[in-house]
Amino acid sequence: MIEVSHLTKEYHGRPVIRDLSFTVEDGQICGLLGPNGAGKSTIMNILSGYLSPGEGSVTISGHSLPQEAREARRCIGYLPEIPPLYPDMTVQEYLLFAAELKKIKASERREQVLRAARRTGLEDVMPRLIRSLSKGYCQRVGIAQALLGSPPIIILDEPTVGLDPAQVIEIRTLIRELARRHTVILSSHILSEVQAVCDKILVLSKGELAAEGTPEQLSQKLGAQEILHVTALGSRDTVLSAVQAIPGLEEVQLEPSGGEGEVSLTARCAAGGDQRAAVSRALAEAGCTVIALTSEARSLEEIFLALTARAPGSGGEAPAADESDASGEKEE
Amino acid sequence: MLAIFKREFHGFFHGMMGYFLTAFLAAASGLYFLALNLAYGLTDFSYYTLYRTLFMLLLYIPVLTMRSLAEERRSRTDQLLLTSPVSVWEIVLGKFFSMCAVFGLVCLVDVIMILTLWGLGATTSSLIANLAGLLCYFLLGCSAIALGEFVSGLTESQIIAAVSSFSLLLLAYLMPSLRSMFYAGSAASLLVFAGLSAAAALAAGLRSRSLVLGCGIFTLLCMGLAALFLFRSAWLIEACSAVLEALCLFIPFEDFVNGSFSIPALLYYLSAIGLFLFFCGMNLEKRRWN
Repeated sequence: MIEVSHLTKEYHGRPVIRDLSFTVEDGQICGLLGPNGAGKSTIMNILSGYLSPGEGSVTISGHSLPQEAREARRCIGYLPEIPPLYPDMTVQEYLLFAAELKKIKASERREQVLRAARRTGLEDVMPRLIRSLSKGYCQRVGIAQALLGSPPIIILDEPTVGLDPAQVIEIRTLIRELARRHTVILSSHILSEVQAVCDKILVLSKGELAAEGTPEQLSQKLGAQEILHVTALGSRDTVLSAVQAIPGLEEVQLEPSGGEGEVSLTARCAAGGDQRAAVSRALAEAGCTVIALTSEARSLEEIFLALTARAPGSGGEAPAADESDASGEKEE
Repeated sequence: MLAIFKREFHGFFHGMMGYFLTAFLAAASGLYFLALNLAYGLTDFSYYTLYRTLFMLLLYIPVLTMRSLAEERRSRTDQLLLTSPVSVWEIVLGKFFSMCAVFGLVCLVDVIMILTLWGLGATTSSLIANLAGLLCYFLLGCSAIALGEFVSGLTESQIIAAVSSFSLLLLAYLMPSLRSMFYAGSAASLLVFAGLSAAAALAAGLRSRSLVLGCGIFTLLCMGLAALFLFRSAWLIEACSAVLEALCLFIPFEDFVNGSFSIPALLYYLSAIGLFLFFCGMNLEKRRWN
């Protein structure tokens, strides 16, 4: 369990994190999401004990930082943004060194190293020098290092950077497996990744918490704008008037339909909540057969952009200004 | 600590660096040993070989120590060390002992040379004197290593670390000659201390970002110095020479070269090691707080 309350950190007199509070429960996968420079890595560095917390309190598995930093560090496996690898060592040597550094007993070291290597698919490259490994393998060695000693909390800073799509899927599967026995915190600026693996998302913007919750809660918080796609059999006017009569639906629009006698339309649920049942009932009462009825949540991507643009003093306006500058130059 | 020691020690011999450095220093002492001790049948190894190859340490130590902390910082591997359940002292000592062990290899070669002299007919008392001299040489090297490790922790660049520790060691090596310039009088001492005060006041002012504090400290120190200069100028001269004497890292070794065993010299080197390792650890810890 990780508890952070009112954390503020300055870096060379410039606040990087401002009054941040959140809690991560045991066994959760928590994703830190934010654009570059939002303070994700700084938070991870503070949680892992690499940087001291400025103001505010941070508690890791009951150990408060920085007073009990050493005990807290014992509970954490950390993969930094750049995997901390020694290029002149072989994978095996490196993992054994990391195991010794983490104070794993000599009798258990080899077994732990083998297990971590097996979980991350490193068995074949154990005798190879780290210098000769590809970026994907380097990332895996870094993850294997974080797993050593089976710490209750695993912190992964952008774990899938530089991996090919197949490896990304492997690592995501691994992270989901890890969550059974560990608490996992990962950071990313890629939304689909966080959406795919996390139970809880913290959206950061300029060092502040812009939003937190499960992916579903986040969609709801932003006014849950679900879009309904309806296809029904019947005359165009009947279907249209039946759907338009349902309260809580907006922007009912006709779509080009596929077959003869079919009418397709989209509608936006304004008030939140699922309107599919109401639509189905209204169409049945009007004597139209519903062929297809799907609802689509607004994608996290849009929510993310809205959140990070909304935060005070955020970069939402900056890109626009840049663009106008660029276009101005073109005109000249 | 053991893990870091082993990694560092192996690290030296993974590449060419460890072999090259050991060969370099062993060849230097071997050359002097051959040309002086063996060719002329001189039994005093401390003076003819160790003392005369001291300047080789000016090159050897900076190259040995430049990587230790600077490279960790550059390649971000310090994140692994500083986030694992080891204290900064274990990191600092593990690295220090590994470099001492590499330097110790060269001293082992020296032991062979000393034993060769003994086998060729040198007296047992000269054997003991030579071994005592070697012990002091080793401690001198270790204190220079501690200095180098501290300097390496200040920067990310190996080159800057090497050049800085070379300059500091060179300054310490030349200090006996530089010091003689200040015997002239209390005015020179006053200047030296005024310069030191200005540096201290500047550091304090920059650190606290307060002009008043910096100027205040400088004024206070200068008033104190002026009072000393007017009423007790002898103290000023003595204090100045004591400060400068403490900076002569290579001088206490001369006690052993004369064939005597000097506890103060050993204590001097041990405290220099302690001081620089302390600074080094504090500097590592400080980085967490910035």
